[in-house]
Amino acid sequence: MGRIIQDVRYALRQLRKAPGFTLTAILTLALGIGANAAIFTLVHAVLLRNLPVVDPKALVRVGDTDDCCDIEGTPDHNDYSLFSYDLYLHLKANAPEFEQLAAVQAGLGNGSLTTRISKPGALSKALSGEYVSGNFFQTLGLQPLIGRLIQPSDDVHGAPMVAVMSYRTWQREYAQDPSVVGSTFALNTHSVTIIGVTPSGFYGDRMTDVPPDFYLPINLEPVMGQSSILHQQNLNWVYVIGRIKPGTQLGPLQARMSGNLRQFLSTLDLYKKADQQKNLTESHLVLSPGGAGIENMQQSYASGLKLLMAISALVLLIACANIANLVLVRGMARRAETSVRMALGAQRRRVIQQMLTESVVLSCLGGIAGLVVAYMGTRTLLALAFPNSPNLPITPDPSPVVMGFAFGLSLLTGLVFGVAPAWVTSHSEPAEALGGSNRSTRDHSSLLQRSLVVLQAALSLVLLVGAGLLSKSLNKLEHQHFGLQTKNRVIIHISPENAGYKVGQLQALYDQIEQRFHALPGVERVALSLYTPMESGSWGEAVAIQGRPEAGPNVSVGSMFVRVGPEFFDIVGQHVLRGRGITAQDTAASPPIAVVNQAFVKKFFTNGEDPLRKHFGTFGVKSSNDFEIVGVVNDAKYDNTRRPSRAMHFRPLLQPTPTFDPGDGRSLYAGAIMLQTKGQIEGLESQARKILASIDPNLPVVNFTTFDDQIAGQFGQERLIARLTLIFGVLALALASIGLYGVTAYTVAHRTSEIGIRMALGAARGSVVGMVLREAMLQAGLGLAIGIPVALLCARFVKSRLYGVESHDLSILTFAIFTLAVSACVAGWIPARRAASTDPMNALRTE
Amino acid sequence: MTESMIHIEQMTKVFYTDEIETHALSGIHLTINRGEYVAMSGPSGCGKSTLLSIIGLLDTPTGGQYTLNGREVANLNFADRSRIRNQEIGFIFQSFNLIGDLTVAENVELPLTYRAGMPSAERKRRVQESLERVNMAHRMRHYPAQLSGGQQQRVAVARALAGSPSILLADEPTGNLDSKNGEAVMKLLQELHDEGATICMVTHDPRFAAHAERQIHLFDGKVVAEGELSGLLAEVEG
Amino acid sequence: MIELKNLERSYKTGATETWVLRRINLMIREGEFVTVMGPSGAGKSSLLNILAMLDDQWKGEFYFDGDAVHGLNRKQRAQLARMRIGMVFQSYHLLDELTVAENIDLPLSYKDIPKAQRQSLVADTLDRFNIVGKKDLYPSQLSGGQQQLVGIARAVIHKPALLLADEPTGNLHSAQAKEIMEMFRKLNEEGTTIVQVTHSEVNAEYGSRTIELRDGWLSKDTAGMAAHGVSA
Repeated sequence: MGRIIQDVRYALRQLRKAPGFTLTAILTLALGIGANAAIFTLVHAVLLRNLPVVDPKALVRVGDTDDCCDIEGTPDHNDYSLFSYDLYLHLKANAPEFEQLAAVQAGLGNGSLTTRISKPGALSKALSGEYVSGNFFQTLGLQPLIGRLIQPSDDVHGAPMVAVMSYRTWQREYAQDPSVVGSTFALNTHSVTIIGVTPSGFYGDRMTDVPPDFYLPINLEPVMGQSSILHQQNLNWVYVIGRIKPGTQLGPLQARMSGNLRQFLSTLDLYKKADQQKNLTESHLVLSPGGAGIENMQQSYASGLKLLMAISALVLLIACANIANLVLVRGMARRAETSVRMALGAQRRRVIQQMLTESVVLSCLGGIAGLVVAYMGTRTLLALAFPNSPNLPITPDPSPVVMGFAFGLSLLTGLVFGVAPAWVTSHSEPAEALGGSNRSTRDHSSLLQRSLVVLQAALSLVLLVGAGLLSKSLNKLEHQHFGLQTKNRVIIHISPENAGYKVGQLQALYDQIEQRFHALPGVERVALSLYTPMESGSWGEAVAIQGRPEAGPNVSVGSMFVRVGPEFFDIVGQHVLRGRGITAQDTAASPPIAVVNQAFVKKFFTNGEDPLRKHFGTFGVKSSNDFEIVGVVNDAKYDNTRRPSRAMHFRPLLQPTPTFDPGDGRSLYAGAIMLQTKGQIEGLESQARKILASIDPNLPVVNFTTFDDQIAGQFGQERLIARLTLIFGVLALALASIGLYGVTAYTVAHRTSEIGIRMALGAARGSVVGMVLREAMLQAGLGLAIGIPVALLCARFVKSRLYGVESHDLSILTFAIFTLAVSACVAGWIPARRAASTDPMNALRTE
Repeated sequence: MTESMIHIEQMTKVFYTDEIETHALSGIHLTINRGEYVAMSGPSGCGKSTLLSIIGLLDTPTGGQYTLNGREVANLNFADRSRIRNQEIGFIFQSFNLIGDLTVAENVELPLTYRAGMPSAERKRRVQESLERVNMAHRMRHYPAQLSGGQQQRVAVARALAGSPSILLADEPTGNLDSKNGEAVMKLLQELHDEGATICMVTHDPRFAAHAERQIHLFDGKVVAEGELSGLLAEVEG
Repeated sequence: MIELKNLERSYKTGATETWVLRRINLMIREGEFVTVMGPSGAGKSSLLNILAMLDDQWKGEFYFDGDAVHGLNRKQRAQLARMRIGMVFQSYHLLDELTVAENIDLPLSYKDIPKAQRQSLVADTLDRFNIVGKKDLYPSQLSGGQQQLVGIARAVIHKPALLLADEPTGNLHSAQAKEIMEMFRKLNEEGTTIVQVTHSEVNAEYGSRTIELRDGWLSKDTAGMAAHGVSA
């Protein structure tokens, strides 16, 4: 025991006496291990966490895609993950294998609920609510924190109106006031009793940055909104998740449920058409694990996180190679000392033990530093990964499992690479290293070291190329031509539907909003719209052009659709190319018109027909006389940043669709006010709140943002991955340079006498520098030779993430090679200079 | 009292490098008795350093027998050789070979720490004693780099003494010292011999060899008589 | 050829100054074969390093073939040494990674000599030393004597006026040593001035003149022409 303490003390002193080595090793370990622990924490938190409910493994989701939020028509590949409420009831009634089968609203959104506590002077707030079936909480097996949770008896038409509040909301908005339970809230102006609060760890049925503030029985849906979708059988809008009975075979169940699905679908008008029979027979559903709830976020982040894991693993590999090199160099440099110890009678076990102690002490220090890096790194990483998402249910604290993993890894690294030189040294005859016999033994370890450096150079080239590609792609994405004007544009999201407005009241409301905002000093233009470009989410419809036969099932007739106010095109920067735009005269009473974009013209008027004055509809051939095209505007990107603009038509805010369309009512409620201002206006947000509150206290600001920020928000994941890859690339480069420096410096020290001979024979300083540098560059060059094809190969894995950049982009490859070459030059030049200052006399004396 | 400390018979040592065979020792017979002071000399390359390495169990002979303090040691395993080296032998090297990261006292203590079961107090006492013996006790807390060459060699002698070895082996102990410091070290060895130590020293300097009781001459890997050596040298010259 | 006047060399370690060469006055004529003897630490190797122009830290005057070395800068000295001086070491100092031919070529590679001429020089030298058959071997595949032969070949390939040897037979058996010394004698007879440092009286016999150093002072010179320093 005392001996171990003595060894540890000695090891600490040794490390203190070689601060360069110690610092480099600890830093290398800290960065390598810390980066991995941080990434792994993120992966653990996002991908591997189950819902905090009873026995999450028994939960099964009916469906497997991240389709959202309310979709008409057939899903991709006829794979159903989203269902209509009636379809859910049908599936539930025919699946006795489920103890419970619950439905939850698919589309959540900030501001889906306008709430006001029934107290004098209380202001209304835009919060989020989720409709759930009455057995939702029973399915998950949750117990309330206080009060009670929703029961099936609450989810019945005509039952007293109740809602459950989430713990976070109770804490954040109502300071955990117990009197909230039992009190009455105005939810979308309807009186609803809060019956309970969810347990504190529960964040809903899925991971999202807008977890529900309220859970409402799904049968309240027709009451809460102005146009109900509850029993629209052609609209799919709920996810289904259930708790399976023990011992159930999922395979046969999935087949049977798919059969039930087809049975229900065959009764729908859509599938009664002759050309839909193929789609009907192919329609199916997939049962997937439901322990983590609805895994939309997991699905959207999985490939990105896996890429980051692969990259951080590469960094760890480089770090390990570095540690191996450092420890090897040190072990070899201390051969003479070890030999003296053995000459004095040290047992081999003792020598190895002492060297190992040093490795372990070093690893522990590195591991501790790694934990610090991991702890800080995770916070930074979360901030980088999910900016502006304070409500995301992910904590930045690395779990003990991750911490243990990281620490164990650093210990293992130290042990593995500490053993090698200890073993080599202790197995040589002491006389050899003491110079007792004048015969030089070939240095086998140097080949290993050089290979490690070559490996490092190759790997860091791969990372540099990856970082370059992703950064360039992000840059292209952000600076692409959107066809939009974003400077001095502000977007205010609202929800008149939640405020209880009837369709007939909307014209007056919109007029008032436009007038009041126009009156604000500095505001140049004001327009309402159903939604705004690049806010994730859009409306689409099937288009039928007048005078053409009905399109077959495989002909694409989709067009995006948005309702906009008169000044909208000027605000977002779309120009009217032909005809006219939308004006204030286009009211509910005037003839229905539409403006289309260039992509629409290209898609539907292929042979140079003039689109102006043509008519089309969105509800089949019978509706094709509905709207007259009065103008064409240039293309702009509305939903997808990577694909070219899609066909799109614009309609006035309040013109109803002449042919009856059950979804039409909802589209009349404007979701956003867009402002164009003269420069930045101080306190615009609070002024907007005041204006809206004065128009109607039930009209809160759901969200306030600039157009620029809204677009930037589309690149969150790309930015995260590009930045992290860049950080890791630079890290890898630094580690590889340190490695090259270390090996070159060691080689130079080892070759002191050789260099001395060369200088004694007349080698000039320049030629010594050249010789050493040449060797360093040879290793870097070999690394490049291996790294270039590997990098090109690996670049194919990120190909799907690239925008506007080829995976074999030459400028990036050149830049990466150049960067690596320059770093190698610097790393080699320093020891080369030292070699050139060798005093030949001293060098020769070391014989 | 002529108990034999070292007895070597028919010892050979061959080095192999690729195809080349080098016979460093070709049939050495040698006996060193307890309390003797023996100097081994001979031209460079005669095999004296190799012989000393083998006597010190730093190297293994290719053939022959070697008895150290009554014990056959030529074929011992690695661990046993380490133990015997630790207990029986004190080394003094030409280039001192002190460990730079350890203080003077720790350097001297080093062989004792490799000896199982010696209490710390006993180690400290021995370190103190041997450093006093070489007059270096006042530099106990210094590091080797802070000492002159002569002082470093005295510390090395103290380190060799600390373990109370049966025999002191010195390989060119004055090789890296100027003549004044060299003389001082030789005087120290003389005194140790007078106090009863068995010493075997390798040197090519005849003045230092003359300090010993007995001189052994090596030539081309063999022990030769004094007269014979000059004959051989003359022959080479002829 | 070589003239040293009041040459001194010392090492400073902290406050103490250790003298390794003291007021050396020495004249070596062209064609001489000089042996430097003396106990370890007497300053023999230091003297040799100065003659080889590997050392710059000395005081005094040093003339080489009429050039005042003390007036030259580091680069000029290196240039002079490269052209005129060859060196042989006790432990050969061949480069392990190079073949015999490449080792011999080494001094030429540091001069501006066309490749064709270098190749013919190397071939000539291999011939002269009778080691043509070994030209593609590595030093580790040679015996000590053969290695030293290569060492000498390397030292004389550029036909230096002065050949310096530091214990050239120190690591060799007597028979090998004899071969090497014969080679030196032959080179000397062909006109090369040689200065060797040795412990061996036998080797000294090959020389035409022996000087002895003791604690940095020139204490004996068989030519009797160097002035004795003031005895310590």
